[in-house]
Amino acid sequence: MKKVRIGAGSAFWGDMLEPAVDLVRRGDLHYIGFDHLAELTLAILRRQKRRDPSTGFIPDIVPWMEAVLPHAAANHVRVITNGGGANPERAAQEVLKLPVVRKEGLKVGVVLGDDVTETVRRLHDGGQAFPNLDTGESDLNGLEGRIVGANAYLGSEGIADLIGQGADVVITGRNTDNSLFVAPLMHEFGWRYERDIDRIAAAIVVGHIIECTCMCMGGASNFWDQVPQPWNMGFPLAEVDSDGTAVITKLPDVGGMVTTWTVKEHLVYEIHDPRRYVMADGIPDLTTISLAQEGPDRVRVSGVRGAARPDTLKVLIAYDDGYMGEATVLFPWPNAVAKARHAESILRRRYERWADRIVGLQIDRVGVNALTGRTAPEPDDPNEVGVRVAFQARTREDIDRLKREIVHLWTVGGAGAAIQAPSPPRPVIGLWPTLIPRADVPIRTILKVAE
Amino acid sequence: MRTVQLRELCYARSGDKGDVCNIGVLAKDARCYELLRSGLTVERIRAHFGDMVRGAIEIYQMPNIEALNIVMRQALGGGASRTLRLDQTGKAMGQALLRLEIPVGG
Repeated sequence: MKKVRIGAGSAFWGDMLEPAVDLVRRGDLHYIGFDHLAELTLAILRRQKRRDPSTGFIPDIVPWMEAVLPHAAANHVRVITNGGGANPERAAQEVLKLPVVRKEGLKVGVVLGDDVTETVRRLHDGGQAFPNLDTGESDLNGLEGRIVGANAYLGSEGIADLIGQGADVVITGRNTDNSLFVAPLMHEFGWRYERDIDRIAAAIVVGHIIECTCMCMGGASNFWDQVPQPWNMGFPLAEVDSDGTAVITKLPDVGGMVTTWTVKEHLVYEIHDPRRYVMADGIPDLTTISLAQEGPDRVRVSGVRGAARPDTLKVLIAYDDGYMGEATVLFPWPNAVAKARHAESILRRRYERWADRIVGLQIDRVGVNALTGRTAPEPDDPNEVGVRVAFQARTREDIDRLKREIVHLWTVGGAGAAIQAPSPPRPVIGLWPTLIPRADVPIRTILKVAE
Repeated sequence: MRTVQLRELCYARSGDKGDVCNIGVLAKDARCYELLRSGLTVERIRAHFGDMVRGAIEIYQMPNIEALNIVMRQALGGGASRTLRLDQTGKAMGQALLRLEIPVGG
């Protein structure tokens, strides 16, 4: 029976390159998908493109493709990446310049249509509401003049179409993460949206499990202290049958482990109602899944059922919302906690004079509550405690002013303070999640060959 | 009434979608799953996180993998792109939950 072997090559912008190259070189893969886009990433890329129209894609994908494509071409592995970000056409131009692409005559496909900024504006002007799914707010007018852009989460249609046209590399913008994996499976098995609902649901689950690379094989895990060779962590691959049943596994000699526990950890990652995991390609019911350890580092995923894809697509509208700064001052034993509290009270008093410039302020104690907030008890007498101050303001100048006050704690506060160099002000981007009718988001594809 | 800390009963992984944080709670075995189903309530979770979570809290059951999924809205200080928290994407929220103590019968 035909099986499709598909690997995951990136979980985020900044993930490791070596395990991806290794998987393409030795994994006997048919496809590999690279996810580079977190929710915020696209807004950052849009801002870059606004300043310089030749940017706006994930710059890593050029060296990444340079390293991956020689092996991909030799082993007939097709590569799919959402690293096109806010400028997939430009990303494709850069990839087409790579010597390996020219030498091997590789075809590079581009998926367009996720940028719905103008569509949202037009529909909104025509009276259509785009309520914020997080807050219930419905008035987009408050963002007037501050909108960076709006991107819809596309499904698999464009990618599958390009694979069908013979693309060796497919570059997208904002596609759903799991569509990078669903599209090749739909193409290989000839699945149709209206007919193969459960199979497509199963493919979405496969994508969901592997799209964050090593996080399904003991990365960021509760079982972190049992993971073999974490310094040599590999990336996962799935062997998928035509009925959607899959085995999640890894190369035998790389670090990490694939167990029902590590897969379960990732099944529950970033989901809401598990009976309706709503994605552009379908709606898997995650409570129908069966997991079985069928061998060392081999977990079978079967039984997935689901519902047909929704009529709407998720959209994130990104908008400028001022600037953010942060700095940390550390205090040593003795009385480190008390010194930290003292520093906080000094800072709050000194900030009173800037109250009208502070949009948001958070002061935490690193080593006490900076990660887990009020759920953490006070420690007895720790060796050191950091005072982390984070603030939001409307302008860079205000951020600099507020930051200076923290630096003053070096001399006006308790004994033994050390300052971590404050980071430069960074823009705050608000994200407004909403829905758009699928019918209003036409997908276009382009297939290019090096000249 | 006897209580037990969640770390004895389950593992947890958390993450973000906008300002929504979810915590997947994986029971260590079938008995733990039953204890979690009865003892891990919306009220206890709300009391544990206090003003860190400002919106609705929902708990979903996943009997097929003996897991609960906790969905907490307005839970990340505005979401990763604008929150002033160090834990921008809510990865530590699951670990924070493991401190919670729940009753385990008589």
